[in-house]
Amino acid sequence: MTARAMMNLRSILIGSAVFRLVLILYGEWQDAHMEVRYTDVDYLVFSDAASLMASGSSPYKRTTYRYSPLLAFLLIPNSFLHRAWGKFIFSASDLLVGYFIYKILKQRKVAEDLCLYSVMVWLLNPFTFTIGTRGNCEPIVCAMILWILICLLNGQIIQAAVWYGLVVHFRIYPIIYALPIIVVLDPRYVQLGKKPLLVNWKSNTQKPSSQSSEEASTRYNLWTAAKSMFSKERILFGLVSGGTFFLCTGLFFHLYKWEFLHEALLYHLTRADPRHNFSIYFYHIYLQYGHQLSLVEKLISFLPQSIVQLVLVSSFAQDLPFCFFLQTVAFVAFNKVITAQYFVWFFCLLPLILPWSDMKLRWEGLSCVGLWMGAQLHWLLWGYLLEFRGQNVFLQLWMASLVFLLANAAVMAVFIRRQRCSPIFLQMKVTDAKGGVKSE
Amino acid sequence: MRIIGWICWRWKMGIIWKFFFCCCFIVVTLSIYGDCLSLEDCILKSYFSKNEVLTDSSFQDLLQDELSKFSCKLLPGDPNPQLTLSGLERRLIGEGSHRHLSSTIQLQVPPQSFPLQSCKLVMIERLPSGVFADPFELDHLFHHGAYAGIGVFGDTNLELPSVSSNRSAVEIHMNFEHSISSGAMSELGIRIDLPLHARYAPLHESGYSEVAFGTPDLLVSCSMEGSSGMRSCLIVPSHDSNRLRTDVVWKIPCGIMSHTNVVSVVTFATAFVSTLVIVFASVLYPKPR
Repeated sequence: MTARAMMNLRSILIGSAVFRLVLILYGEWQDAHMEVRYTDVDYLVFSDAASLMASGSSPYKRTTYRYSPLLAFLLIPNSFLHRAWGKFIFSASDLLVGYFIYKILKQRKVAEDLCLYSVMVWLLNPFTFTIGTRGNCEPIVCAMILWILICLLNGQIIQAAVWYGLVVHFRIYPIIYALPIIVVLDPRYVQLGKKPLLVNWKSNTQKPSSQSSEEASTRYNLWTAAKSMFSKERILFGLVSGGTFFLCTGLFFHLYKWEFLHEALLYHLTRADPRHNFSIYFYHIYLQYGHQLSLVEKLISFLPQSIVQLVLVSSFAQDLPFCFFLQTVAFVAFNKVITAQYFVWFFCLLPLILPWSDMKLRWEGLSCVGLWMGAQLHWLLWGYLLEFRGQNVFLQLWMASLVFLLANAAVMAVFIRRQRCSPIFLQMKVTDAKGGVKSE
Repeated sequence: MRIIGWICWRWKMGIIWKFFFCCCFIVVTLSIYGDCLSLEDCILKSYFSKNEVLTDSSFQDLLQDELSKFSCKLLPGDPNPQLTLSGLERRLIGEGSHRHLSSTIQLQVPPQSFPLQSCKLVMIERLPSGVFADPFELDHLFHHGAYAGIGVFGDTNLELPSVSSNRSAVEIHMNFEHSISSGAMSELGIRIDLPLHARYAPLHESGYSEVAFGTPDLLVSCSMEGSSGMRSCLIVPSHDSNRLRTDVVWKIPCGIMSHTNVVSVVTFATAFVSTLVIVFASVLYPKPR
């Protein structure tokens, strides 16, 4: 990194850090002086669970604590240091995500100004800076996901696997990334002990360089993948990440028994909340609440998510950040419960794909933003009338959620159409028996 | 009405009676929150230590029992100290799923010379099925000095719809502004605002479910000089029902059963259409080269 680039990145990070500190201090003031709290109610849940853990009790004695004990462990200093300790951790993770975005893009030789704009897309996003300063733990998950990407870019398969097992234990949803990671660990591109060759960024005005002849010449297909499925890199990743996940899960099951398993894992897998949320399924769940759903109904609600995930992986796995982004948007949009904090899961991946997008801010980009935000605001309007005015607008609210899903699908289609999809890895050269270099 | 702190009394069987005011939130599954607000020996805690579910009849039985145990009579043959509930007005303030139940209480205290001290009003609100009080919100208000003490008991699960939840009850302790033993007639006005939230109601074709609130149980708890030292006692103020305006009904929007088929079909159809949009876009547009 040049000195000038460091200075600019440093300025952005320092400015963002100061702003977050001010928000945290303001939040403490608002909590102490106003009836309406700034702090998210989830943060109080984490803090209470951490206090229980500090006193030797189970964090699950705190009702609605549905996270890994690791989170409560991280927040133990809330009890003896300061109650805002956790907010500092989450905001620091948020800044770390900004740094990781820069690091990933620089590694792929993205132009400096684009790197900095991409970092600002994350750090200046209002969702981002409010979520950490209000005490939501999602920035930690985002930082872990990006670190996994960095490890994969550097060929550090074992480290990536350990972090991956840990993040799936922590939050479960990253399990959707398992398949594209396995796909991209193709022995032609990633080999144990060797740093992989990365496909560098090219602006849309640049002519293809000679590099392109060395890019993966064979299109991904299922048969190729099936044949090389059991490479040592893939097996190692699977074993290490699975081992990490089961080690964490086994340890906490030993400590906290079925309460941990139910609250931290099973609850999320079976969650179907009848209360209104962005999901198209909320009203259906409310109307059917208490009735046993038939096998057909369960299958129908499961199929759209599964089909979309499989198609996205088979189409875009080689462009791993883009695949992650699309998968996450789809996962959130088709989920049975959607809350605003889930949006952060794909906001942290958006800056990684922007340098490869042909979408201009005016007017295609702004239209996508307008469509997505507009659909959300439309839902929020009906939600306000239901929750704060007591009007029966269930049908309208449900229709607004349908519009929100369609808006998500439309935005995804535009992103796909405008993306200059690029594999992250170059095919590796190998030496033959006579010491000559050849491509595989 | 400002509450500046709370007074702790210890309540022991037999000789010395005190109240600890602690907010111990007990849910049906018997998990107790740590944010106790000093109502350790409140009436509702006694009730829920013996009963899992709140029913009006069993609660009334327990209340009668408590009143006879902790009477404010100096001697068994003495008449009960007279307190009159001269007015009770109840209103539901706000709109939507989050409202305040406001209770304005007028108490008349005749001049008497019995040594009652440090009295406080005890209000027990047995919430109907369909609404709940958030213990953590009440904890926050308690720490802002809104109550002398408060506790939520029963089913305090914040997430379940009313078909899957049981009733809960709130016990609130509020200090008086004037001492009852002042020797002069006192007219005391106390206002209690209780924030409440609506659960998702059972389905109904009208689109609204009505939740009616009953009359709260109002008691006065004081400490008095007994033969063995200070002890706590309870008084039920007498009242004229005609002067009480307690009808409060909360209309909560609810789902309509006749929407079921349309909602199911259109939900899955929309999911299918969205799937097709994404699948076609993925298939038609360029892949990673």
